Amino acid sequence: MDKLLDDIKNNLIAGRVDRQDEGPDGTMEGQPGMRELVQEAIEMGVPPSTIMAQCLNPGMEEVGRLYENGEYLTPDMLAAAESVNTAMTLLEPLLLENNITNNGKFVMATVEGDLHDIGKNIVVTLLRGSGYDIQDLGTSVQADQIVSAIKESQANFLGLSALLTSTMGKMKEVIDKLKEENLREKVKVFIGGAPLTEEYARKIGADFFCEDAFDALNKLNSLKKKK
Amino acid sequence: MQNRKPKNSPFRGLDIQRHSFLSDKDCRLIHEGSCQLLEEVGIGVTHAGAVKLFEKEGATKQNGRMFIPRMIVERSIQQTEKNIVLKALDSTNNLGIEGKNSRVHYGTGGQALYVLDYKDGAFEKKAAVTQDLIDIVRICENLENVDFITRPVEPNVQDEDMDLTKTRIFLENTSKHINLANLIQIEKLPEIISMVQNKELISFIACVLVSPLSMAESTTEKFIRFIQEDIPVAISSCPQAGTTAPLSEVGELMQVNAEVLSALTLANLVRPGAKILYRGIPITSNLHTNVSPRWCQPDSIRRIAIISDMTHFYGIPCCGTAGVSDEKEPNPQAIAEKTLSWIFETASGAQFINSALGMLEQVLTVCPEQYIIDDMVIGRIKQLFLKSPDYNLRDIARTGVEEALSMFGVQMDSAMKEEVSSRINFIFSGQEEYSADHVQAQADLIKKAIISGKSSNVFLKTSRSGLRRGWLYSGKRFEGRLELEDLHLLKTEILDSYGN
Ligand code: B12
Repeated sequence: MDKLLDDIKNNLIAGRVDRQDEGPDGTMEGQPGMRELVQEAIEMGVPPSTIMAQCLNPGMEEVGRLYENGEYLTPDMLAAAESVNTAMTLLEPLLLENNITNNGKFVMATVEGDLHDIGKNIVVTLLRGSGYDIQDLGTSVQADQIVSAIKESQANFLGLSALLTSTMGKMKEVIDKLKEENLREKVKVFIGGAPLTEEYARKIGADFFCEDAFDALNKLNSLKKKK
Repeated sequence: MQNRKPKNSPFRGLDIQRHSFLSDKDCRLIHEGSCQLLEEVGIGVTHAGAVKLFEKEGATKQNGRMFIPRMIVERSIQQTEKNIVLKALDSTNNLGIEGKNSRVHYGTGGQALYVLDYKDGAFEKKAAVTQDLIDIVRICENLENVDFITRPVEPNVQDEDMDLTKTRIFLENTSKHINLANLIQIEKLPEIISMVQNKELISFIACVLVSPLSMAESTTEKFIRFIQEDIPVAISSCPQAGTTAPLSEVGELMQVNAEVLSALTLANLVRPGAKILYRGIPITSNLHTNVSPRWCQPDSIRRIAIISDMTHFYGIPCCGTAGVSDEKEPNPQAIAEKTLSWIFETASGAQFINSALGMLEQVLTVCPEQYIIDDMVIGRIKQLFLKSPDYNLRDIARTGVEEALSMFGVQMDSAMKEEVSSRINFIFSGQEEYSADHVQAQADLIKKAIISGKSSNVFLKTSRSGLRRGWLYSGKRFEGRLELEDLHLLKTEILDSYGN
């Protein structure tokens, strides 16, 4: 079993999701990845708390260390986040049985008329890897659709992205609709994208403007501490 | 001052002997790979009119993707207009853009969100407004090396007034060719045409493609309308290696070429003999840090220059891209990277070099003083090319950066010289082989990514091995302080002459 736990940890460090993944240097295709290994561990009856304590947490610490000292670059970090997310998705039903929940639910979207999503997708990957359950509605999403997704999923966070001056106004429309539906107090609204500023966030009544994905994570962490 | 017009030519522009990075054989390999992608992976199309046109010619649609037979693509390449005249209010400013020639022209780019204001020796960043558009057009009207003006920023008026306002500002302030780039409301096109009176005075850029391999519906509509009016349009596709395209140069070129060819095919289905400028912008993502686009690093400079090999291979006019610095403010790094990018793009023979002046922060910001700096450096670069027709490109690149920096008070030390050489070496030396096997491996990677359909960032994970092989350049910065006071005075002088 120790070998299995080691393999899980190492696959996280390698940022691999499944067997098809080529890994950091393009040589690992065909070897079992996070999905296969965690499945095996679950079938063997390894408790999820053990997987978290002995594989995921130390694995993420190691990735953090490699990133700090420059051996790892952004895609490595994001790959590791995806790998952790794969493990957590498999473990979630078991964790719920033990009353361990994720960090919260997010609805994420690029606003109507806007097709830019490279930045938004990075935010999604990083936050998923940090234990947030994210429903990504994609690009050019209408305000109504966003509001009904929040209603349905009872999300506690909303993330909106816009990269065009002509679409950033749509963010206010979403926030106004949330108010109309008495949902505004139930969600914290995060916004991001090149034309936006802190000041704009204040003006339209969003809670947080984020420079980048890490900024979003820091702001979420400080919210968690306040609780 | 160099000649505005070369001798014996009715047109502006710099005539040079072009330098090619790829052989015809390499270009053919990329072409074959692109045709394979269009036939086997297809292009995402939702615009109903476009779907109809493609299907009528025998393309087939499945799961939202249009599979385009090579025959139609190659016919369209044949049909595309090879020589375009872009006219200007002052006919001595007319541009003759010829696909097989290498007469190079420089112009501005857009659509920046921010403008830098120079005050008391420092730059202040603010959101762009209508007056900035007026000022920049006026400045560029006065700059010798600006051959055409692409709308640099949009006026901050109501959506309904934007397109007409900007057209009016152009007509009132420039005698050079007007590249309106985009229209916010395509319904305004007839009014714009009657406002300019002669539609040969204007051209557009349509960002039809969303990488990897799909077309944006609303832009497709605009694109079709421009083509119907027989107005020249640059087809723009701007994938970013490592996120929306493979990190591999070969993979990205094959993809961007397939993307542009798909729209070029559509154009010729709308109107055989369409007036197209091919604008592929195969830049890279900054995977070292925050995944922002890299426009002016050696990897991007090389890839963008190689695109001109493809356009010359097809004989189709090239809308190039150069001089978009990744820096936030005018500084020595910006000058050095811009200079390298202008030199290689000029040498590549791209006929209509867009975004060449004023741009900073990966196209997010423009700066009036930067337009003047860029004009001065481009002037110097032209002289270097003109001095010896059988130039040595390495020498021009080295001398160019040194002279450009010294024009603004920065002398290169030995470390800086080494850095210039290292960047030049990277640009010259390809990291990958152009072989049928490598092309096929990249085609397979693209196919797999599209089938997985995960998100636009499908290539992020597979970029890791290439990153470790050094496919993204990493080097040192050029530091120092620029002397800008004179430029600021020059800018004020130009604007004051309009009675500001
Ligand atoms: C790539 C790109 C495109 C690609 C988009 C591909 C894709 N799948 O996203 C394509 C080619 C399709 C495209 C199209 C257009 N584009 Co564009 N595009 C860009 C470009 C070059 C880069 C954007 C990017 O990906 N950056 C990299 C990512 C990593 O950064 P980011 O998006 O800023 O995201 C980070 C943060 O902002 C933050 N963040 C972002 N969102 C969110 C959300 C939340 C919740 C949080 C917490 C954080 C967060 O975190 C992210 C990660 O760190 C920008 C210029 C630029 N330098 O930004 C222009 C730019 C945004 N585009 C522009 C324009 C004009 C267009 C077009 C209108 C062009 C045209 N004429 O047709 C079309 C519009 C299409 C549409 N309807 O949306 C302009 C906007 C100008 C303006 N005044 O509004 C820009 C500024 C370029 C320019 N100067 O012309 N574009």
